[in-house]
Amino acid sequence: MKISVISQNFHRSVNVWSVGFLKYQTAYHIQQYLANLQSQRLNKEKTLDGTIIIVEHSPVYTTGIRTQGYSESEERRLKTLGAEFYRTNRGGLITFHGPGQLVVYPILDLKSFNKSMKCYICKLEKTVIEVCKSFGVEAERSLDTGVWVKDNKICAIGVHGSRYITTHGIALNINNDLSWFSHIVPCGIPDKGVTTLSQELRKPLTITDVIYPFLQSFSHEFECDMKMLSHEVRKDVVNHLKKENLTSDITEAQLLRNNDLKLK
Amino acid sequence: RKYTEQHEWIDVQGKIGTVGVTDYAQGALGDVVFAQLPEPDSELNQMDDCGALESVKAASELYSPVSGTVVEKNKDVEETPALINQSPYEQGWLFKIQLSKPEELDALLDEAGYENHLKNTGH
Repeated sequence: MKISVISQNFHRSVNVWSVGFLKYQTAYHIQQYLANLQSQRLNKEKTLDGTIIIVEHSPVYTTGIRTQGYSESEERRLKTLGAEFYRTNRGGLITFHGPGQLVVYPILDLKSFNKSMKCYICKLEKTVIEVCKSFGVEAERSLDTGVWVKDNKICAIGVHGSRYITTHGIALNINNDLSWFSHIVPCGIPDKGVTTLSQELRKPLTITDVIYPFLQSFSHEFECDMKMLSHEVRKDVVNHLKKENLTSDITEAQLLRNNDLKLK
Repeated sequence: RKYTEQHEWIDVQGKIGTVGVTDYAQGALGDVVFAQLPEPDSELNQMDDCGALESVKAASELYSPVSGTVVEKNKDVEETPALINQSPYEQGWLFKIQLSKPEELDALLDEAGYENHLKNTGH
């Protein structure tokens, strides 16, 4: 059964899958599977113009394609803190993901949107700024990609594009433990800090509070409707993960749930 | 010069083709901060992804317009990625490749074809 999450009758639609708590690597495999499906452009009914994956990660540090600056000893040092470490194919430098941070991976076909990467990034930034504003937090862009509240970064951005299909995405700090960031120079910018929505509002917010406002802002900025990702596609993803032995940290039931979407 | 639909160009002299990205591509990317180029001696097939350009925290894949062996990568661009934005057809060249199948050039777009492609796909 397809339930319309946000329907403004835009001529574009994207799927939404709010998976919940997921290890970084598992989420990455899901991204790859959906990106492949999207790039085949065979079944527009299934894939629409893209899929937004919403997750929360266990502690993990990740680097982008400019990974040579982070040595193996640096990698070991960060792992001993209790986090995982992955070198990825996205843009951007080192960052951290962890509990209390809203991580969103839009797997979009930019051929259906504006094809320019610069434009995509700009729209992501504007989406996040709109979300922050809806909670009463004044955030802005700067010469450094990401979303800032004065000199503190509240949202990191890093993406990858392959034949107009995007992977990776954004990480918006809601109520995560910022001390994890003290062990790195976040995004390679030494004299700036990090912050969370809860810290800026001086009141506790959770990921669940922010998911729906995020989707509303995304829908508005990217001019697309939102639909729940079909059970059929989620089942295909689960079967794919099982076949590749990638489901060790998650139950099939959890993968098939589509969480925390308040329907209007 | 010939072009791909992914916005790479190739200029062939003899058996060696010089590859770069088009002016449209550098504009769409934004300021390039890092170029991940294929290593000399690597073997590529036509349309293989062979590297990436990073701009505004986005890594965009590069595709080889032809099959062959990479003979040189542009160290100046590795040092100063902004050359790609400033001079996409001259100093911003990315790598040189020895073509193994020159007939593949026939499948690529000429200048007019590329301009049409930009128009038709709403760029």
